Amino acid sequence: MSTTTLERVPAAEPGAETEPSYLTAEHTVASWLFTRDHKRIALLFFASITFFFFVGGFAATLMRLNLATPGGLLQPAVYNRMFTMHGIIMVWFFLIPSIPTTFGNFFIPLMIGARDLAFPRVNLGSWYVFNLSGLVVLYSLIMGGADTGWTFYTPLSTVYANGYVFAAAMAVFINGFSSIMTSLNFIVTIHRMRAPGMTWMRLPLFVWAIYAVSVVMLTATPVLAMDTFLLAVERFVGVGLFDPNHGGDPLLWQHMFWFYSHPAVYIMILPAMGVVSEIIPCYARRPIFGYSGMTMALMAIAILSFFVWAHHMFVAGISVYAGVVFSLMTFFVAVPSAIKVFNWTVSLHKGRISFDAPMLYALSFVLLFTLGGVTGLMLATLGIDVDVHGTYFVVAHFHYIMVGATVSAFFGALHYWWPKLTGRLYPEIWARFAAILTYVGFNLTFFPQFILGYLGMPRRAYTYPAEWQPWNLLSSAGASILAVAYLLPLFYLGWSLFWGRKASANPWRATGLEWATSSPPPQHNFERTPVVTLAPYCYDPQRDTYVTQEGVPHAG
Amino acid sequence: MPASATVRPEIQFATLEQQGDTAQLGMWAFLVNETLFFGALIFTYFIYRISYPHEFAVAAKDAVLWCGSVNLAILVTSSLTMVLAINAAAQGEPRAMKLWLLATLALGCIFLLIKGYEYYQDFQDKVVPVVNYEAKPGEGSAGELFWVFYWVATGLHAIHLTVGIGLVLYMLLWRIRRGEITPAYYAPLEVVGIYWSFVDTVWLFLYPCIYLVGRS
Amino acid sequence: MTIGPEIHPKRARPLPFVVAWLLMLVLAAVSLLTAFLGMGNWAPIVQFGIAALQTSALFILFMRLKGPPSLKWVFAISGFLWLSFLYGLSMTDYADRRGWPPIQATSGPGFEARQNGP
Repeated sequence: MSTTTLERVPAAEPGAETEPSYLTAEHTVASWLFTRDHKRIALLFFASITFFFFVGGFAATLMRLNLATPGGLLQPAVYNRMFTMHGIIMVWFFLIPSIPTTFGNFFIPLMIGARDLAFPRVNLGSWYVFNLSGLVVLYSLIMGGADTGWTFYTPLSTVYANGYVFAAAMAVFINGFSSIMTSLNFIVTIHRMRAPGMTWMRLPLFVWAIYAVSVVMLTATPVLAMDTFLLAVERFVGVGLFDPNHGGDPLLWQHMFWFYSHPAVYIMILPAMGVVSEIIPCYARRPIFGYSGMTMALMAIAILSFFVWAHHMFVAGISVYAGVVFSLMTFFVAVPSAIKVFNWTVSLHKGRISFDAPMLYALSFVLLFTLGGVTGLMLATLGIDVDVHGTYFVVAHFHYIMVGATVSAFFGALHYWWPKLTGRLYPEIWARFAAILTYVGFNLTFFPQFILGYLGMPRRAYTYPAEWQPWNLLSSAGASILAVAYLLPLFYLGWSLFWGRKASANPWRATGLEWATSSPPPQHNFERTPVVTLAPYCYDPQRDTYVTQEGVPHAG
Repeated sequence: MPASATVRPEIQFATLEQQGDTAQLGMWAFLVNETLFFGALIFTYFIYRISYPHEFAVAAKDAVLWCGSVNLAILVTSSLTMVLAINAAAQGEPRAMKLWLLATLALGCIFLLIKGYEYYQDFQDKVVPVVNYEAKPGEGSAGELFWVFYWVATGLHAIHLTVGIGLVLYMLLWRIRRGEITPAYYAPLEVVGIYWSFVDTVWLFLYPCIYLVGRS
Repeated sequence: MTIGPEIHPKRARPLPFVVAWLLMLVLAAVSLLTAFLGMGNWAPIVQFGIAALQTSALFILFMRLKGPPSLKWVFAISGFLWLSFLYGLSMTDYADRRGWPPIQATSGPGFEARQNGP
């Protein structure tokens, strides 16, 4: 059977009214480092990915400082290592784990009404494997870094590169297993551990998004694992499967790399889409438009993402026939994404909208994702790609999605669920300011890069002709604003931990099961197993009322 | 031996049955990952074999057929002994269970011994890329690709088999010793059995890749 | 409180497993035989087909795919389905790419001359 009815968890001590929260239940360091509680593991991951966000951000800072003038700042070889390590760290050590391992870990059991994930020890193991891979990548970084680009193309990476490629590749290899462990846990949990009445079509869209992303992670990552393993073998041993001297095909390495790395970009966006689907109904006080279309779109994106990988290789030397096939498939994969954008937009119609920080981040997401997605379609067009492949046009496109969209959704999730995670409310004025500053700083940083790419500026280049300096300078200036916008939450969220107002169980009057328990939740999530009777997002904007998923109505 | 009264489901599960079913699903989900991991490796073999059929046929002649074939029989038999051990656990026959598990263990170790001998033989035949390699006439420079695949594939397979042996030892020396495998709940043993048979499956596919090329 | 074995599905008697084991060994022998029959390009197709048959027996019977929960089937098939994406779509490139495979790596005419350099 796939649902769970658990017996009542006894109170911690006789006479106590409720269980202590998951934060205060145990106090020792060991109780954190050896915890099986998915909520504590979420915070452990939070610490790790935040650390790597700042490491990757530091590399980006040096890059933008270098690019502010044609003369530059860094030696060319050092610049190569900067963009490589920036890419590796941001992709595998921040973006891919970001929402799933933090908010996914914390909220999936809560949203489905379970006490924990199916395999708590595997969950903790995933964090340790992640940190091991982090140590290896830090070793690579400190020893000087790899310089092949985050894409590790052979034979540069296997034969000719001078940097610490082996360590970086092994770091990615180990990191993959962290992804696999996490995704396996989510898939089995969502299938088997839903509370009574929580059918698939009553699941919050965030759960659907985590399920979809877990399917992608589980099936794509092993191919990357094999590819990086073979790269490491070839580099270490001297002969491998991609060596042209032996009839090996460098494009074979790329095929396997992109078979993972294209779905990887959907790994980075699907959870963000799930977050936005939680925030918009709550702050527009109305149900999401087209719930079943949204679920089908998520699954369609997950599957179709496996059919498009060679659009990264249009000018690498693949056959023209393959180019046409993959271009066509890429146009198809844009359709479910577009459906989601339309549905989010219509979900605002006749709503009772409030522009609190999470909503500002969510709306940012929709706008920036749309622009990034449309430019992706431009890149899918063979004729355009021949011109702009390898230029800043591509760089701008993927930063619009990965930074503009995903990081905005991450911050939106952080603010939306802050009361549930910490039991405190954040200062709304500062949060709105940070959200708006993020949007402005982001566009100032990355829109000029579309122009630069169109004008022909190649990516991964430490210098450029002087006539392009104004755009580069504008981009670097925007980056400084973006940096402030990203640092601000550290301060006011940190402040709120000690001096913020205490939060009630459901400060945003939301309908999900996670809001049915205290803020922060007790160690075992619920005092009694929830029984679900309704679909999510039962908000009524006209009367300003809402009904929780357990069927409990609330007045305005 | 009476069924243990002390095995309770973990806090997140309602019943032992749910816990056992979930454990099986977890292992099957892990096997999706393993299928794609080895499948990606065999993909490189596939591309190169259809591109260099003649060269692979020449290079593969040095594969030691009897070692590969005997090892195939050994692994298939070990899957049988493993499933008989699980049967015995379900029927509450701990002695038979332990004997069948020991048989599985022995077969796994014999596989590794034969593999080790085969590696020694390969070194003598000069088919170890970089370390001791001599291209045979007619294999071009692409023949070495076959041997790179061979060492990576059989090496990874041997590592997975060793992990399987470790898991069986863990079952014997830890879980079974503590009486945690009973007819009421033997899911951990089933899960190890599923993994073990999957390692067998990988060899079923590696066998025609490596040992049956260019023999006629 | 103990749960008796009658609540859990009894595993099958040993006989089906022994029969399946024998069948797999016979199939392996057949596969080995096909290598010597001079079947040309059909040989690997038959051999991998036999491997697939043996795998099906292993999965369904030994790895208890046919028992509960039935969701296992989805997982069992998914791995191979995803591999078909990789193999199939890659062929759009390899089937049609000019200059592939490079003759320099083959042992065709002029190999010795190429080995010795210009």
